[in-house]
Amino acid sequence: MNFANGELGRLRHARWRSNMEVSLEHPAEEIKRLQRCINDLVSLLALPAMWSGSKPYDIVHTLLDSLLRLLDLDFVYVSLTNPVDAAPSETVRVPQSQEQLFRPRELCTFLNRWLGDDPQKRYLQERSHIGDEEVSLASWPLGVQREIGVIVAGSRRADFPRDTEALLLGIAANQALIGLQQGRLLTEQKRVADELDQRVGQRTAELAAANEGLRMEVAERRRAEEALKRSEAFLAEGQRLSLTGSFSWRLDTDEITFSEELYRIFEFDYDAPVMLEQIVARVHPEDIPLLSEKMDLARRNINDHDYAIRLRMPDGRVKYLRTKSYGIRDRDGRLEHVGAIQDATEHRLSEEALAKVSSELAHVARVTSLGALAASIAHEVSQPLSGIITNACTCLRMLAADPPNVDGARETVRRTIRDGNRASEVITRLRALFSKKEATIESVDLNEATREVIALSLSELQRNRVILRTELASDLPVVKGDRVQIQQVILNLLRNASEALSAVDDRPRQLLISTERDEGDRVRLTVQDAGVGFDPQAAERLFEAFYTTKNESMGMGLSVSRSIIENHHGRLWAAPNDGPGATFSFSIPRGPEGVTGARSLGTIRMPAAEDSERAMGDPC
Amino acid sequence: MLTGRSLVSVVDDDESVRESLPDLLWELGFAAHAFSSAEEFLTSDYVAQTNCLILDIAMPGMTGHDLQRELKLRRQEIPIVFITAYRDDAVRPRVLEQGAVECLFKPFSERALVEALNAALRRS
Repeated sequence: MNFANGELGRLRHARWRSNMEVSLEHPAEEIKRLQRCINDLVSLLALPAMWSGSKPYDIVHTLLDSLLRLLDLDFVYVSLTNPVDAAPSETVRVPQSQEQLFRPRELCTFLNRWLGDDPQKRYLQERSHIGDEEVSLASWPLGVQREIGVIVAGSRRADFPRDTEALLLGIAANQALIGLQQGRLLTEQKRVADELDQRVGQRTAELAAANEGLRMEVAERRRAEEALKRSEAFLAEGQRLSLTGSFSWRLDTDEITFSEELYRIFEFDYDAPVMLEQIVARVHPEDIPLLSEKMDLARRNINDHDYAIRLRMPDGRVKYLRTKSYGIRDRDGRLEHVGAIQDATEHRLSEEALAKVSSELAHVARVTSLGALAASIAHEVSQPLSGIITNACTCLRMLAADPPNVDGARETVRRTIRDGNRASEVITRLRALFSKKEATIESVDLNEATREVIALSLSELQRNRVILRTELASDLPVVKGDRVQIQQVILNLLRNASEALSAVDDRPRQLLISTERDEGDRVRLTVQDAGVGFDPQAAERLFEAFYTTKNESMGMGLSVSRSIIENHHGRLWAAPNDGPGATFSFSIPRGPEGVTGARSLGTIRMPAAEDSERAMGDPC
Repeated sequence: MLTGRSLVSVVDDDESVRESLPDLLWELGFAAHAFSSAEEFLTSDYVAQTNCLILDIAMPGMTGHDLQRELKLRRQEIPIVFITAYRDDAVRPRVLEQGAVECLFKPFSERALVEALNAALRRS
């Protein structure tokens, strides 16, 4: 211990000696005093045991209380240099009886100044004035250079501190020093332990969080892998269903990768890698130049390949492929060509079949409408024929009478001629309608063409009890076109209107057919009926092949009609009326270019004439 | 009213039939009267006197079928010979089933007409 030597030791020794000299004069009293001192000493030496594990605050308080009690002081003061554990840096204790004389705050201020900053001034002892009181002050450092702090004891007694008091004060200070150092150590240890605990806790939490993160990452990865697996399965299924395979072609190595579906399309062996030569061998010989061209473009990284190419299988089957591909470069700049190939064979074959069926259907539709027309014609011809036969029979009978009824016979012959002419007119119109077998362009008077169609349709209109009104413009220019085809359209529109009216019972079955000049040197024909009309949303669908609202129709009539009008560079459209019914119109330019592609619509077959032949037999 | 002759009423919207058929019927020994529509016939005085009705099927307004139904409702049991210019094979059995005597397709022969009329008159 440091304080046994040096200045402290010397001071203590000197004082001790002088006290001894004084005390020898009153030995009994001196012994008593020493005994008391020893008792006090024992109390002080017991303090560390009390302080074990205590905090600096408690140590300081116990110290001050003990010193006040043992040394009969007016106040005692401790200042801690680096207080820990929230201990106040200055603590002063004044006995209750002295509190009027020494106010703790003033004492602190005074002692603080008295001690000064110099840690070298370790042991101070002097008489001083605090307020009105003269006081003896004695300080004792805690630590050699007040590392821990300093204790100051004060007493109004002039002999303070006596040697025993100095001794007790020194020992108390040393004990306090030990206690505080231990406390500080303990506190530091506790702080370190706490900090360690905290860091361990924090690290544990971090690890737990990292662990949780890792666990989630693993789960996420597993999910992603499953999703990827599913996505791959979907892709494979999608490729299989859409008959689409994918490929990649490394241009530097000619390494080719095929998807499973592409293996199927090319009918290659799954186990073997795909070689460029194999592909070339599969491609249809006629398409080899195309393939070479496309491969050359790919090598030059010219993109956007979208082309059709054929394969020829070893057994001679031809496959139609649709290819779409483009070039990409990897990180090292190497060129790779990736793309998709669809087996469009079935699509191609169905397209061909559809075109064939469509053409057949157009023919069927024509024949069907001609069939209806033939019935109408038969009716038109049968009426005058019936009159002719009846009149001729009457005539024979009148001439055979006795006397012959010549006037009557003449009248019947006149009627026979009239009916014969009527039949002849029907035949003329028919011949006009069917005389040409190919579509030809000629000047067509739309009004005249319309009148002829009306004449042929009258009986059907009549049968459906349709009230027909015509408004044919007198200044209508002639148009260039195929008259028969245009008449077929008019007939179709009239028949549609008539059928739409046949279901109407609550209003007159009115039908208006009109012609007029249209904008842009065109002529327009309009058929307006008060029939059942159509759903406005289906306005365009009306013209689709197979679209029909009628039970016995194949839905070809309007589709064929539109084709005809479009071949005449015209337009055919439908609109619902404000009131009941619908309006169908077409507008065609008057020429001079006329029709360009009459195509399959050009050939019209005459209906069989068997009906009229069969009906004759024996007339009278 | 002409006695001795059976009255044949002709209902047809075609004028040539209305002109020619009554003359032939007269020559064949019948009395005849022509009407341009079923409505005209129904509102005339001839309904009750008619021994046989020659009736067109397709007419504006009331059709031949309509008139046949109407007469049945009125319990006018007039034998009917239908005549039509529409050669529809389904028509004949249908009208015969409804009670018509015959169905002739225009143009018909005199012989077919006479046979049908005789059959009708046998019924009346």
